[in-house]
Amino acid sequence: MSNPGDLAGLHALTGKRFWRALDDLIDQPGFRARIGAAFPALATGAGDWRRRDILKCLGGAIALAGLDGCERQPDEEAMPFVEQPEGAEPGIARFYATAVEMDGVAQPVIGKTREGRPIKLEGNGDHPASLGATNAFTQAALLDLYDPARSGAPLFQGQPTSWSRVDTALAELRSRLDGQAGAGFHLITGPVGSPTLRRQIASLLDRWPQARWHVHAPVGDPTVSNERLHLDRAHVTVSFDADLLGPGPHQIWHATQWGARRRAFQTGRGGAALFVAEPSPTMTGVTATRRLVASGTRMRALVEALATDLGVRAAPPIRLSSLERAWVGEAAAALRRNPGRGLVVAGPEQPRDVHELTRAIDRHLGNLSATRSHFAPPSGPRPQDMAALAAAIRRGEARSLFLLDINPFHSAPDLKPLLARLPLRIHAGLHVDESAATAHWHLPMPHLLESWSDGRAADGSALLVQPLVRPWLDVRSRHALLERLMGGERGDRAIVRETWPAILEDEAWTQALVSGTIPDSQPVAAAPQSARTQQAREDKAAEGLSLLVRPDPTIWDGRYASNPWLQELPKPLTKITWGNAVHISPALARERGLASGDMVRLSVGDRSVAGPVWIVPGQERRTLLVHLGHGRQRGGPVAQGTGFDAYPLVGAKGEVRIDRIDGREEVATTQHHFAMKGDEFIRFVDTLADALPPGPPRANFFSAQKSSPGWGMAIDLDLCIGCNACVVACVAENNIPMVGKEQVAKGREMHWLRVDRYYEGPPDDPRHAFQPVPCMHCEDAPCEMGCPVNAAVHSPDGLNLQVYNRCIGTRTCSAYCPYKVRRFNWFDLTAKDPPELRAARNPEVSVRGRGVMEKCTYCIQRISAARITAKKEDRPIRDGEVATACQAACPTQAIVFGDIFDGKSAVSRRKASGRDYDLLPETNTRPRTSYQARIRSGEEEA
Amino acid sequence: MLGLALGGRDYARSSYQSQVGWVQDQPVPFSHKHHVGDEGIDCRYCHTSVEDSEHAGLPPTHTCMTCHSQLWTGAKVLEPVRQSLLTGRPIRWQRVAQLPDYVQFNHSIHVNRGVACIECHGRIDQMPLTWRARPFQMQFCLDCHRDPAPHLRPRQWVTRMAPPDWSEAQKRAYGERVMQAHRIDPKTLDNCEICHR
Repeated sequence: MSNPGDLAGLHALTGKRFWRALDDLIDQPGFRARIGAAFPALATGAGDWRRRDILKCLGGAIALAGLDGCERQPDEEAMPFVEQPEGAEPGIARFYATAVEMDGVAQPVIGKTREGRPIKLEGNGDHPASLGATNAFTQAALLDLYDPARSGAPLFQGQPTSWSRVDTALAELRSRLDGQAGAGFHLITGPVGSPTLRRQIASLLDRWPQARWHVHAPVGDPTVSNERLHLDRAHVTVSFDADLLGPGPHQIWHATQWGARRRAFQTGRGGAALFVAEPSPTMTGVTATRRLVASGTRMRALVEALATDLGVRAAPPIRLSSLERAWVGEAAAALRRNPGRGLVVAGPEQPRDVHELTRAIDRHLGNLSATRSHFAPPSGPRPQDMAALAAAIRRGEARSLFLLDINPFHSAPDLKPLLARLPLRIHAGLHVDESAATAHWHLPMPHLLESWSDGRAADGSALLVQPLVRPWLDVRSRHALLERLMGGERGDRAIVRETWPAILEDEAWTQALVSGTIPDSQPVAAAPQSARTQQAREDKAAEGLSLLVRPDPTIWDGRYASNPWLQELPKPLTKITWGNAVHISPALARERGLASGDMVRLSVGDRSVAGPVWIVPGQERRTLLVHLGHGRQRGGPVAQGTGFDAYPLVGAKGEVRIDRIDGREEVATTQHHFAMKGDEFIRFVDTLADALPPGPPRANFFSAQKSSPGWGMAIDLDLCIGCNACVVACVAENNIPMVGKEQVAKGREMHWLRVDRYYEGPPDDPRHAFQPVPCMHCEDAPCEMGCPVNAAVHSPDGLNLQVYNRCIGTRTCSAYCPYKVRRFNWFDLTAKDPPELRAARNPEVSVRGRGVMEKCTYCIQRISAARITAKKEDRPIRDGEVATACQAACPTQAIVFGDIFDGKSAVSRRKASGRDYDLLPETNTRPRTSYQARIRSGEEEA
Repeated sequence: MLGLALGGRDYARSSYQSQVGWVQDQPVPFSHKHHVGDEGIDCRYCHTSVEDSEHAGLPPTHTCMTCHSQLWTGAKVLEPVRQSLLTGRPIRWQRVAQLPDYVQFNHSIHVNRGVACIECHGRIDQMPLTWRARPFQMQFCLDCHRDPAPHLRPRQWVTRMAPPDWSEAQKRAYGERVMQAHRIDPKTLDNCEICHR
């Protein structure tokens, strides 16, 4: 890691254009030697083996290799159905439209099941809020279903009990509440989008008028916003620290629309300019055509300056720095050029009046009705916030608490002592988490993928949630729990059906289930309302530090902490896995003499947390950032023990301080891993009309391959927003094992697809770029030449493949691979998997054993399935019939796959673009995966 | 060491290893000879998904009982079948035709192209108890994948037990016509990824 002295060298750039990390930029000799080995792990532990010893062992191994595979196949049982349900043919996948939920927003999916087990989620292409796309959270929801740490039995004071006892206790509670009109009963939920749940809460409050309903949203919007942005209609978007494309419940909605807008721009249909002012890099800022580094406290001034520039308000000129002035000037000019096609938004941390002002700008330019829409809020009771609950407890009015799938004992540490005073606390949730551990009763709930429910998607329309599998644990859904509380006995499906009289007919109900949409369920459009209430933020002194506390980009507010797919997913910008850090700017690191990994105490007023720092290029000088959701005390072996808990800092007031404390902590980051040797991995063109200069002709004595089909992939860097949906989709599709923090730190993560992030320019304000790197499927693949046992082979349709049962693990192929896309099974990562995780595997993909090399296959199992279908129908495979898992998940359609020798296929059209280039052309490998350069501009030249 | 290697090779090809001709203990002594040979029941009556799915499918207990609720209702050997229907617990058969986990085999495409059941499963109509007729080893698969022509027959004869009354030349001629019509290229049929993925 870099030490403070070297950071001074940052100003004198070493002439390297693209860099991944600060150490890289400084180009320390020791650092280069360390990453020179593709796997840092090799540097240690190789031991003192002598060459002769190795040869001796090798000889013995070869002699015995002939006996390998001589093990007689173990006997296996086959158990057919007793009575085969209709359509349950073994070996044939079935697909169901359903949804998973995030912060009360339903994410429409199609669930694929094999032999009754859900094995993959894809976006619902027929639903306007998905259009077939997903994000990392939605992809990873599948593993939550199979989480071995899920709670499977009700608990009373920590001891297992039975549902009949729960029912008795609920009956007692019910009769008491009936007598007191519900006084003292408080129901706490997360943001509620499900119409059925709203209906149930309404009838609960009807029956017990003195009962109270509170919504606890640790991050984000407690009311489930009624405003929808339409990025696809916005030729110019100006964002004041609003991470529209970043992780969150509306990510798929925003990203699909941004992708559509940007693709329209590429084909000459209007602009796609994105202006972002932000204190810390976000995915939106990185995607922006013009990014401004500005403190969160400067947002008000910037919005006011923009408003003044556009004549929205007459005000004395605002003092801006020259950089700020230039950014505002450009944004204003772009908005003026595109009246009715612009969008100005402020981030959730900005106060209400700033939001009002952005809306006033949009109104002034005639954008308001074009790029935003508003819905009437759902009818029924309005929830109260958690402050009202705290007040009721202090007044001594609250007596019983029902926590429905929410964990305030982790996410609201201030409330903990108050909540703990209540004489009856009931917790319902999927895990025995912090709240369950202190509750009197814990009631286990099913995952949404095994329940009947409903929800509202990001576009506001309603959909039905149907189970992909019957719950295998002894659980009750949220609807059933509220039904029981009120004395009913009906099952989930009956409760949900009651909510939807319009589709009561069996045929209409079935149609809604098949399509995953409920017709005519769009909420009524409404006039724009006043902005969501925000806590006013006092502007801090310019010299002081300001702190941003944000949800984690992978485990969100902590609810996904038990999901290893998300824990091991490198965070889009820092590439940190299995933990969090205090993000600081390079300037502050220089000033305080801090290096990444140094431990600090971060305090706000009288609250403090301790954690390692991480230097984030492009972060505003005086801004600090921490991610929530880590430092879990309960909730399962995966959730516990990663990172530090930042919740104590939420809402803390006072001076922000950062003090170095003793020690260092290893932060498991993948940013150096699998580094390629060379330069110009990322290419840019300035405008739409520009093309990349043609490369020099390269001699090659291998003749070029041609076949039908010939598979290839095109990845448009101009569309990639670095959201990681592809990475998790690949993990889910290809049974990729997770390795844990220690092994990630050694560079042994197994992701077949990685998303590299590069910087260009000065560390204080670099330009960022993302680059997804799957296998290149080189026509002249170096890995194939390196394999001594011919386990790396080439298929006639252009795939470069690994034969696992042939591989003896020499790792030569990995050493030969210039793109560093091969992954080695250092350990048996799968044999100890509990039965739940085995059930989650895709049966169409082999599970790899120890000592075997593996890599991206272009989803060969999907190609094979399409080939077999096409052969049965005696026709060629159609363009678009094979979608790789990464391609299917991508919300911006950055990835296209198909037959590159079919001139009409989508992929060959992409590759015909002037922006098309190969990675590491000097290696002359003729890669089948190619990239399209990023376009710097966002508007056509006038 | 050489002896070990050669011995290993013989062992690998032995019927002990390949389990060809070995009979497994089954909960019910099911006779394909009786059902197929004597009664003439078509394979697909029980193995229903063979034309659509990668798995041929084992019959659910219900299928057995369509006949055996009428015939041999008191037979002692059928007790496990009746118990299965009564208790709802599946019959636990021992698998006879079994491939390693790293091999992906799809019944439907083989059947649809006219590879007869007997090509891999042998004359099942002559087996009083079921055994493995062919060594399910890579060499066996490759022999056919590299030269499929003599193993193909008309689609509607796939489940027929007796081989067609054709000379070797006729077999080959027919197979070659099929391969031409369906564009089956043996050069691509022995690629690793056809089975291993």
